[in-house]
Amino acid sequence: VDLLDFVDWTGVECLNQNTAHPLPNALKQGYREDEGLNLESDADEQLLMYIPFTQVIKLHSIVIKGPEEEVDLQSVHQAQAACNTLLYKFNMSISPQTVKLYTNKEHMGFSNVSDFPPSDTLTLSPENLQGKPVVLKYVKFQNVRSLTIFIEDNQSGSDITKVQKIILQGTTVETTDMKGLKKIEEH
Amino acid sequence: MVLEATMICIDNSEWMRNGDYSPTRFQAQADAVNLICGAKTQSNPENTVGVLTMAGKGVRVLVTPTSDLGKILACMHGLEIGGEMNLAAGIQVAQLALKHRQNKKQQQRIIVFAGGPVKYDKKVLEMIGKKLKKNSVALDVVNFGEEDEAKTEKLEALVAAVNNNDSSHIVHVPAGSNALSDVLLSTPIFTGDGEGGSGFAAAAAAAAAGGVSGFDFGVDPNLDPELALALRVSMEEERARQEAAAKKAADDSSKQDKEGASSSQDATMSENVATSASESENKKDDLMDDENALLQQALAMSMDDPATTTVNTRDTDMSEAAADDQDLALALQLSVQEGAKDQSGETDMGKLLADQSFVSSVLASLPGVDPNDPSVKDLLASMQNQPEKKDEDKEEDK
Repeated sequence: VDLLDFVDWTGVECLNQNTAHPLPNALKQGYREDEGLNLESDADEQLLMYIPFTQVIKLHSIVIKGPEEEVDLQSVHQAQAACNTLLYKFNMSISPQTVKLYTNKEHMGFSNVSDFPPSDTLTLSPENLQGKPVVLKYVKFQNVRSLTIFIEDNQSGSDITKVQKIILQGTTVETTDMKGLKKIEEH
Repeated sequence: MVLEATMICIDNSEWMRNGDYSPTRFQAQADAVNLICGAKTQSNPENTVGVLTMAGKGVRVLVTPTSDLGKILACMHGLEIGGEMNLAAGIQVAQLALKHRQNKKQQQRIIVFAGGPVKYDKKVLEMIGKKLKKNSVALDVVNFGEEDEAKTEKLEALVAAVNNNDSSHIVHVPAGSNALSDVLLSTPIFTGDGEGGSGFAAAAAAAAAGGVSGFDFGVDPNLDPELALALRVSMEEERARQEAAAKKAADDSSKQDKEGASSSQDATMSENVATSASESENKKDDLMDDENALLQQALAMSMDDPATTTVNTRDTDMSEAAADDQDLALALQLSVQEGAKDQSGETDMGKLLADQSFVSSVLASLPGVDPNDPSVKDLLASMQNQPEKKDEDKEEDK
């Protein structure tokens, strides 16, 4: 189940993001489908995202998709002769590589990422970057109120990191959603 | 109205003893700090401000971010001057203090007063700047005191490294007769990226120096034209009200004279045009008479004498315009036009006012009125539309 509905948008923060390419581009429903909109880092290649949830959830897996980029036409022509269609190739170099997840830690900064061992560390492979979900250590994510995603570096070590899409998949713990409570009709 | 936590880094190094800013650099800095604290707290009551010193024995936090202005003012007392300014350490401690602020929703900002020389490398400063940007901390630098090209260059590089979407600024204040605080008032440090601060700036300017750069109410009309206009209009209204109240008794006789003068509409128009033109030129001398005219017009309107009303109103309008409030005058003219709608004098009035060139020439002759002022132009344009609309309405009625 996509946990997008349970994200508490008022508390979502992202450090070191380029304000022209902020976190909602990667998280929000409409935006993340748009290939033109990415989350981009600013001063250096690390990104720190803080995502609180409206209720307690269990996180099962996560999808982090790197940016797609147009391939230079010339190189396409070198590979295949008369081809006018543009090929989309995932730009490997600036997609995230090492990602650390921390649960239930509020307002982390870049200075205290090393103070606290992550709940999980992922190294993203090319398949992951194309959309294959990374299955997490489920036992560590049983009781998650907020998630901090720390992107430590990217595939090639370049100065900026771009993220196309982030999907969080999991389930809710059995708490009642107060909005869903409806009055039982009197017969 | 941005919710912000600010740390102000004060330079209390030996270089602050110098008197090239009155009374001493340190005192000027202290005044500026007080002003900033006030401005920040006023723009949003939940803002917090903290203060630390960069020189002396070492970087020392005097007060952690708080919204209590008294605490901040109190800690500024008894500060000792000495040592050398440690910019890098100061900024880093400020960053740490902001990190541990109570309300995490506040934006982080550091304001540095850099008076003494900067001994750090440009590279080091740029790295610090990058770190600040990464943690989304904005930085404002007030470069005063020592004038040194290298120092200016380093500080510019620092602010450029931190700057994200124009949220960080650097201000250079050269030594001179202007007080440090006054110069800062007009900078983005006070105006808070263009919003919110100008009200406080106006009040502070009025209290402190009384019209800093010659603008009437301490508010630059270019920075905030609506505020300047509103202040001007309210002052005019207040003045008019007071003087009308003061002169209520003395003017019946002169009013009678005015009424006698109007024979026909056109004649009256041209007469009053002439009188108002001359009045406008002598406005400074004839201020009393103008106020009389205003009062007579009020009385005449209450007496419900249409011809005289329009005539006197026009007269009054011109004199009010002459009293340096062309916008109010034009607005009055418009409203008078509305009132005079059913009266025969309307057409002539409309024609006269619709004569754009005439109006602009009269306005040009008024001292202190710039016909190129956008607000005047807008009113002229709307006036132009008004007479046209009136003609349309008239045709419809007929």
